[in-house]
Amino acid sequence: MNDYMKNILSGEKCHTELRSQTARTRRVSVVAGSLVGNMSSVSKGIGARVYKDGVWGFASKSSTDELSAREVLSSAKENALLLASKRPQSKSPLANAVKAEYSESALFRDVPQKTLVDFAMAVDAYIEKTYPSLSSRYVGFSSGCIEKTLVTSEGTFAYQLFPRTYMIVSMSARTSDGEVVELFDVLGGGEGSFDDHYSEPALLFPQIDSLHEELMKKKEGIFPDAGEALCIIDSSIAGMVAHEAVGHTVEADLVLAGSVAAGALGQQVASPLINLTDFAHTAFGKKAPLPVYVDDEGTLCQDTVIIKDGVLTGYMNNLESALHFGMEPMGNARAYAFSDEPLVRMRNTAIHPGKDKLEDMIASVDKGYYLTRTQNGQADTTGEFMFGITMGYEIINGKLGRALRDTTISGVAFNMLKSVDMLSDTVQWDFAGYCGKKQPMPVSMGGPSIRCKVNIGGR
Amino acid sequence: MDKLKKAAEYILDSLISSGGDMAQVSVSEGRVEEFNVDAGEFSLIRSVFNSGASMKVIKDMKKGTAAVNQLDKEAVDNAVAECITAAETGVKDEALSIAEKEENEDFVSGALSPDKEKFFDSLLKFIDDVKEQFPEIMLEQVIASYSYGKHVVANTNGVLFTEEDGSYSVSIMYSAHNDTAVTSFNCVVVDYLDPSQDILEAADVRLMLERAVEELKAEPFTGKFTGTAVFSPACLSEFVSTITDSFTGDMSLIEGTSPWKDSLGKKVAHDDFNVSVIPLSDDIVCGERITSDGYKAENFDVIKDGVLESFCLSEYAARKTGLPRAKSSSGCIRVKSGKKSLDEIIKNIENGILVCRFSGGEPAGNGDFSGVAKNSFLIKDGKIAQPLSETMISGNLALMVKCVEGISEESVNYGTCIMPYAAFGGITVSGAN
Repeated sequence: MNDYMKNILSGEKCHTELRSQTARTRRVSVVAGSLVGNMSSVSKGIGARVYKDGVWGFASKSSTDELSAREVLSSAKENALLLASKRPQSKSPLANAVKAEYSESALFRDVPQKTLVDFAMAVDAYIEKTYPSLSSRYVGFSSGCIEKTLVTSEGTFAYQLFPRTYMIVSMSARTSDGEVVELFDVLGGGEGSFDDHYSEPALLFPQIDSLHEELMKKKEGIFPDAGEALCIIDSSIAGMVAHEAVGHTVEADLVLAGSVAAGALGQQVASPLINLTDFAHTAFGKKAPLPVYVDDEGTLCQDTVIIKDGVLTGYMNNLESALHFGMEPMGNARAYAFSDEPLVRMRNTAIHPGKDKLEDMIASVDKGYYLTRTQNGQADTTGEFMFGITMGYEIINGKLGRALRDTTISGVAFNMLKSVDMLSDTVQWDFAGYCGKKQPMPVSMGGPSIRCKVNIGGR
Repeated sequence: MDKLKKAAEYILDSLISSGGDMAQVSVSEGRVEEFNVDAGEFSLIRSVFNSGASMKVIKDMKKGTAAVNQLDKEAVDNAVAECITAAETGVKDEALSIAEKEENEDFVSGALSPDKEKFFDSLLKFIDDVKEQFPEIMLEQVIASYSYGKHVVANTNGVLFTEEDGSYSVSIMYSAHNDTAVTSFNCVVVDYLDPSQDILEAADVRLMLERAVEELKAEPFTGKFTGTAVFSPACLSEFVSTITDSFTGDMSLIEGTSPWKDSLGKKVAHDDFNVSVIPLSDDIVCGERITSDGYKAENFDVIKDGVLESFCLSEYAARKTGLPRAKSSSGCIRVKSGKKSLDEIIKNIENGILVCRFSGGEPAGNGDFSGVAKNSFLIKDGKIAQPLSETMISGNLALMVKCVEGISEESVNYGTCIMPYAAFGGITVSGAN
């Protein structure tokens, strides 16, 4: 396949990408002991994209043979020519597209469906036996791999695997007044195959016990007072700050659409304590949770430094926006399915750690909240972000108090970042999420515990 | 369609000859033609040719499912083998089933071939109209697409439905900008059949762009009150979908956590609150003809005059809970219009908020929700007083639908759902201080 892909693109004068993908997914869902989901899927196809006079043409087909490759390339060219003829843009050719090479040597080790089913059922059985008074329980497994082969008209060849496995456990209980409270957690998992992360179900039981213990506290939980509050955002959810509050506002396509980060380059947008990077494949001396080596435009991936000592230093770019802003492309153009075009996307986005100890941070708050679990978030052009909080505690006179019920926090990213005055010395990553932006995209996010001011919803 | 029927037949035969007791399959082919506008300028034309088969087999009352996006023999045979293996490793469940036989039917709806020229021209006109009439508006991203699909649903009970449809859709994500301010983004999505549709006049597109320009004067809300929230049609659509998913959907009924689990036939909402699922309505673009379970889709009421008439359950969840299955699996929802105009409703509100987009966390199992009221306006003493930023709202979905203070006579048809404005009491509105 590699040879015909390279041959098809030889001699192309416009920047052209040809990408073949196979995505394999296995999913298992157990609800209260019933196996409601037991699915495997394979999605395979090829897509081509052509840049002509400042606009793009794209086409894809769900087959990967040479004829299909030639067909999608032809359709992509037609689309680019059609748009260029109707609405040409006065943009330069993509002179910053250069040759890159990368070839993954590791293999993805698929796992039999039975392995996932048996593991999930064993975890469910433990929860049922140990905590019979729960009102519901859910165990879900996702294991899969996206395999990508990319060639470009500049001679780039990249073969990459993006395997990811994780298990989610959710449980709910009724409060004394009959209301339902729920908590979920991602248990183990990460980049790689099932057996890279899981062996014995019993090894996960301590995490399940902790989740249950927190759920029992949440049952007795209170609603926070609505309004601005001093909060400690735990390192387990600090990635949400990196991703939602800041990351989206500095994606160059959103900057061009007028995000609040437009014009803020070189300005102090955060406390000098804040350093924020979108890591390509290595972070803080270790392999990043979801490494990317070559992006889907053929750019060799490097780290994108976004905020350094509180100063906004860069945007995340694709080739086109990098030319526009006069920046070096760092490999942030990513496509999800073979039928998707590359968009400006985050990879492993994290706030760097500070020097404080979490215990000291909590002790420093007279009245506020310690927020420990989240579920979803959303960014905005204005920099106003929100994310849902599913677990937390009030802090009174430096000590943790009652647990919180579900709530939401919000703020304006740069205002919130300026209020940061303590950062813990440890970083945690969240690798199980998808970012939504026309297409879904597996991303990871991380950071230390953060002391800052945010708005909190409540009663 | 014959090719898809043959593929369906082959898959069913393979699943049964491999040991399955009963099987169901959906086989499809389609294409998407898409125009993209980014930051106000045309950026991309995208053509997608797709196909796929999803299959379910039940063996010894254990289920396996598999999906594949290629219809060649090797790919299909591999998927069949995966499906059988999944069933063999499954867990016995007496609630498993496939659709019962009904009278087979072929359904055709919508625009079966695209008029790319007219469609492109309508988009071109929209972009130019917005630039001329709304210079403050930045079209952050516009995705205009034509989608065509045909699919076959068949099973070993003799079900054989076919469906062919095509339609146009435009998704407009926008914000307003001037020298000193930028508004929150908002998004309107409209489906339609006429490629020459004047997009600016579709649904409430013009009104939403006008409101966005007003939002440039937004100020952060300070303080806190409990009052009335008026949800715009698009925002109401999201809330109603959340309510139907959270309180009447599969998970919460199987788990028994829905606050409405024992409320079928009982009052759950205000008398004026009516929610129907209408996939067959002429007002809905294409809608749904075959449910995801393989039954012929029908319109049905979820809430009528405040009474819960039906849950929105799949056949599996219905058999699991002993409750009736829903007659459609679509999200083609209509909330019935009221008798007062939006102006009349607002006139009666002392302290309130007009919410045009909600950005919030998933609601809790009991319906508690909180989040940011985006693209919103303060209502004070019967008038829309001030566009707002940095404003949060919170409430409870189950209580909210009991506290209806008005449903507008005006409604907006987005092609996939039809929604009025709706005012609900008991909502907490809070700002930074």
